[in-house]
Amino acid sequence: MKNITLRIGIVLVLLAVVFLASVVAGPRMINPFTADPISREILFSIRAPRSIVALLMGMALGASGAVLQGILRNPLADPYILGISSGASLSAALGILGGLSIFGSFTIPVFAFIGALFTGGIVGVMGWKRGGIWPERLLLAGVGLSFLFSSLLMLMMTISSDEGLRKAMLWIFGDLSMSDWSRIPYGLFFIAGGIALSAMRARALNALILGDEFAYSLGFSPHRERGMLFVSVGLLTAASVSLGGMIGFIGLLVPHMMRFFIGSDSRGLILSSALGGGILLCLADLISRTIMPPMELPAGIITAIIGSPYFLYLLRKKNVLGV
Amino acid sequence: MLNIYTIRKQAALILSICGAILLFSTLSSAEVPRRLISLAPNITEILFALGVQDRVVGVSSFCDFPEEAKRKPKVGGMSNPSIEAVISLRPDLVLFSIDGNPKEFEERVRGMHIKTFTLRTKQIAELPEGIRQIGAAVGARQRAEELALDIERKISSLEQGRRARHALAKRQKVLFIIWPDPLIVAGPRSITDDALRLLGVENIAGDTVSTYPKYSIEEILRRAPDIIFIGKGNGMDRVSDSLLGRLKNVPAVRNGKVFYVSDYLYRLGPRTIKGVEELAGHLDAR
Repeated sequence: MKNITLRIGIVLVLLAVVFLASVVAGPRMINPFTADPISREILFSIRAPRSIVALLMGMALGASGAVLQGILRNPLADPYILGISSGASLSAALGILGGLSIFGSFTIPVFAFIGALFTGGIVGVMGWKRGGIWPERLLLAGVGLSFLFSSLLMLMMTISSDEGLRKAMLWIFGDLSMSDWSRIPYGLFFIAGGIALSAMRARALNALILGDEFAYSLGFSPHRERGMLFVSVGLLTAASVSLGGMIGFIGLLVPHMMRFFIGSDSRGLILSSALGGGILLCLADLISRTIMPPMELPAGIITAIIGSPYFLYLLRKKNVLGV
Repeated sequence: MLNIYTIRKQAALILSICGAILLFSTLSSAEVPRRLISLAPNITEILFALGVQDRVVGVSSFCDFPEEAKRKPKVGGMSNPSIEAVISLRPDLVLFSIDGNPKEFEERVRGMHIKTFTLRTKQIAELPEGIRQIGAAVGARQRAEELALDIERKISSLEQGRRARHALAKRQKVLFIIWPDPLIVAGPRSITDDALRLLGVENIAGDTVSTYPKYSIEEILRRAPDIIFIGKGNGMDRVSDSLLGRLKNVPAVRNGKVFYVSDYLYRLGPRTIKGVEELAGHLDAR
């Protein structure tokens, strides 16, 4: 355990370094101590909120990936597999098409959040049978809904000649450029809440991974624990999609990377996957806005480009699943 | 006295001349295509401006101007028109744009022994020539010549305005926003960039790789545009309020030099010049 604490400490230090670098570096370097007014404005009202949003999103994705792989007992599970993101995109598109602007500049995030929670609810109901949530049912219901919603979205995009809708939906493929302070409080609330809830149930998750009978014998109610963990995954994913759309890779592969580093104990894994996700997205966003200024590249592409080689390296180097 | 043979000869000559004229005129009228399909909105606009709208039997689903164009039968999108829809309208000539229509589709239509025309115009300066070519292809040379001359006159008067602006001490820096969230702006090789060049102002997004790049907000703060144009789109004013809030210290926003302009500059057609003149009006307003 002491070893794990030390390693989480290392990840935390790395997180701090990457965060600072992402604020100071960019299309141009800014020295916070000698900054002119324009640079100071860039630092505080553009880069700082953007890096915080990147951290929050990355943390939400990393943690929910770790939890989901546990409750579904499936190493291929990621937060988007439950259809939550497709539901979010569809709901945002409907909001835009309906011309609803009740929430001002929050319209898209709010619709995405509602859509994500709604989809999570449907998946939960579909996964429910005989007084509990079953992992296989949950997974298949999520995959089914995901196909349905993304096809409906594609249909809307194909038959609509509304250029505005197409441009507005670019956002869903991962965009952090519009992040400002106003989105941080609610993001922080749901993401901190979700991580705290899942971290508190980490011991139960450990038991669930070994099987329902085992969990039961240790005094955990498998269905109740799974339900609570599922709620936390739903909150985390919904909040992250509504902050900045869909960013792939993190939810799927960061938990595996952290398993190599920390081990499979969920108590350390959830926390370290959150931190690792935050580090990776923050770094990817830094690169995406820095390498081709003044143009910005989608951060989701960069996460996979820098993450995958490292993941493949680990896969060759270490033992996976005891092989 | 005239010999009967001479009369016969002369009559034959006259007859054959008449016949030749008749033949030629029917041939040339057969060359004027009667059923046109336009696969690009700017071509549709040009066809309407040339007064041949009655011969247009099909358009793409993006052809929304003028109002009457919306009521023409649709043959599909620009990148994915339906070959069946095109053939079933029995066109004599299908007009393509090099900008947006797939080359393979043009080859397929040509393979069906239907005549095609491809508009290769990409810049404002080439527009008059493009209009003349369309005029020649659809048999409306005179109207096309008038329209082309009118555009050429307007371009040269815009060039005078550019020289006057060049005489100013400082070159104005401009940003043209196409969509605010995520921030998409007009970059190099876009018609809008061409218009800004024609106007003699600097497009601060003129140095990106992509034509419609996603642009860095902090670079806008750095490059401090004097004027910001925002193209009108669906729900545009509402979304861009939050963007302008973030750009409040940029000279353009501070000095109230943010202008919502029409979407005329999004396609290269008869309205493009109006779009350039609209920008010029804002630039020179005191």
